[in-house]
Amino acid sequence: MQLFLQQVVEGLASGAIYAALALALVLIYRATRIVNFAQGEMGTFTAFLAWQLGQWGAPFWLSLIVAGGLSFVVGVLVFRILIRPVITASENTIVNICIGLFIGFEALCLWIWGADSHPFPRLFSDQIWTLEGVRFSATNVGTLATLCVLAAGLMAMFRFTRIGLAMRASAAEREKSPLVGIHVETMLMLGWGLAAVFGFIAAVLVAPSLFLSPPMMVAVVIYALAAATLGGWDSPAGAIVGGLIIGVAESLGATYLRFIGSELKVGIPFALMAIVLLVRPQGLFGRTRVVRV
Amino acid sequence: MTRREPLRMLRAAGALALVLALLAVPLLFADFRVYQLSVALTYAIAILGLNLLMGFNGQISVAHGVFFALGAYTSAILMTRLGIGYLATLPAAVAAAALLGLAVGIPALRWQGLPLAFITFGLAVLVPPLALKLEPITKGATGIALTKPTVPAWFPGSQDTFLYWLCLLGCALCVLIARRLLRGNTGRTLRAVRDNDLIAESLGVNLAAVRLAAFTISAGFAGFGGGLFAIVNGFVSPESFQMTKSFDFLVGAIVGGITSISGAFIGALFVVFLPDWSADINLAAAGIIYAAVLVVMMLLARDGIAGRLDALARWAAARLTARESNGPAAGGERLDAPSGDRHYQTQNQR
Repeated sequence: MQLFLQQVVEGLASGAIYAALALALVLIYRATRIVNFAQGEMGTFTAFLAWQLGQWGAPFWLSLIVAGGLSFVVGVLVFRILIRPVITASENTIVNICIGLFIGFEALCLWIWGADSHPFPRLFSDQIWTLEGVRFSATNVGTLATLCVLAAGLMAMFRFTRIGLAMRASAAEREKSPLVGIHVETMLMLGWGLAAVFGFIAAVLVAPSLFLSPPMMVAVVIYALAAATLGGWDSPAGAIVGGLIIGVAESLGATYLRFIGSELKVGIPFALMAIVLLVRPQGLFGRTRVVRV
Repeated sequence: MTRREPLRMLRAAGALALVLALLAVPLLFADFRVYQLSVALTYAIAILGLNLLMGFNGQISVAHGVFFALGAYTSAILMTRLGIGYLATLPAAVAAAALLGLAVGIPALRWQGLPLAFITFGLAVLVPPLALKLEPITKGATGIALTKPTVPAWFPGSQDTFLYWLCLLGCALCVLIARRLLRGNTGRTLRAVRDNDLIAESLGVNLAAVRLAAFTISAGFAGFGGGLFAIVNGFVSPESFQMTKSFDFLVGAIVGGITSISGAFIGALFVVFLPDWSADINLAAAGIIYAAVLVVMMLLARDGIAGRLDALARWAAARLTARESNGPAAGGERLDAPSGDRHYQTQNQR
């Protein structure tokens, strides 16, 4: 039982990371109906930027803030230069561009920083609290707290600010929003920028345990895709719940299913995703999209 | 004389040039280059399968490297464990890959487009560690070494040349099958599902059946290419089938042109030789070039190199036709008109 609870705690912590990346994917999907496969690789790239700033002697927190700002810029630029021109093109075209970005950002990291793994400083202290025999490390608690802050901030922005309202409007009605004075283009750029920041945060959270290397986020992207599919692509709350479920399922599966072990962990989100697509393609919290012919 | 005649002749000339070039390869190059070109031919078969699926049926797959790997492992295992002759293992390689294709295609039927990309992307990430894990069958990281087929007594030439011819024959077979599939009713059905599935369905096309069939056949092509690869390479290991292999095929398909058969060959040459040359600059250079090419192609030339060449042929044919029907004097006006409208007019006037 203790092992079980311990694995649940670990699972929730890694699930929070998947949820952060899934939130990024869902943000973009809601606004532009695009799934950005490269979100994780973009996150890796900007995490490398933060690491590089640290190498140059910048204080850790400053480097995080600067790299976070840079990742916003990267997200906006990627949208403006590469996605905007093809936004009305077929799904497959855009998937291909995103795969191109995926390959490109990974190769860019490889070119600049090489194939070695680099240790990345922890965001939280090494403190561990024990409750009823279950260990709560500061990293796990901090990761979950980060997710809560992100989710609450996002919700507050969407619900209570003018910009959030405008972003929701331009996601829901791209053609009609300009009629009420919303500059849809800016809102989409903002969405891509925000998503890139979320991707960066996910990368920074995952980097201390996986070590910083160009292919660091490849598997994490699968987890995030599965989380968003599970939660429903048009539901940010779903992405969070989906991420936590995937995290717990992964941690329990890797512990209790002999064959899976640590090498095949990525099979768990894959299987969950396949099952969801078969049984309930719109996800737990998603709505079925009605298409007018 | 109809206006299509010059175009047809130009296209035939292009195809003939390609075939002649392929036939001349063993005479022109050293054994190692011939081997590399054989590998390129096996890739071309997989890319051809991807073109059938993506270009003509509108379904995406990021997992053709997986089908290719399954074909290669099937051939290798049948040869080494059961001692089956190398040619006889190829049908099994096709069958194994096609079955997996069927299994992957079914969950994706309910929600086309993105979910198919997710599932295949996941598969591409999942399979390399799976191949390592299934050590009793795949021999894990060690890989399976197999003896390359001996050259028959009647064949004049080296082993690499012989294998090259084998691949060439395999390609010819695949091209014939693909041409047959794309012609007539089958081809129209495939394209109708791609262009507008609602209309296709209302015309009585069984969408699920067509999509599944396309996916299965396409995976079968990749399996065949994989089987040939195992024979040509004489060695299979998870190292050869990383996730990047699937990306290679995707890049090759798009560079060559997803709505053409010859494009598969252009794309295969690109993904075999580019990393080879660019490794001199930097190991990451190939990735950067792949990414740039993918993005630029999607932004500027979605029909790939083959599509651009065909546009060139059409332009040249239009020029020729214009000369013939209007005389050389009229050759100056709007020769670059890509559409045939003007030529219909000139014909009607006559």
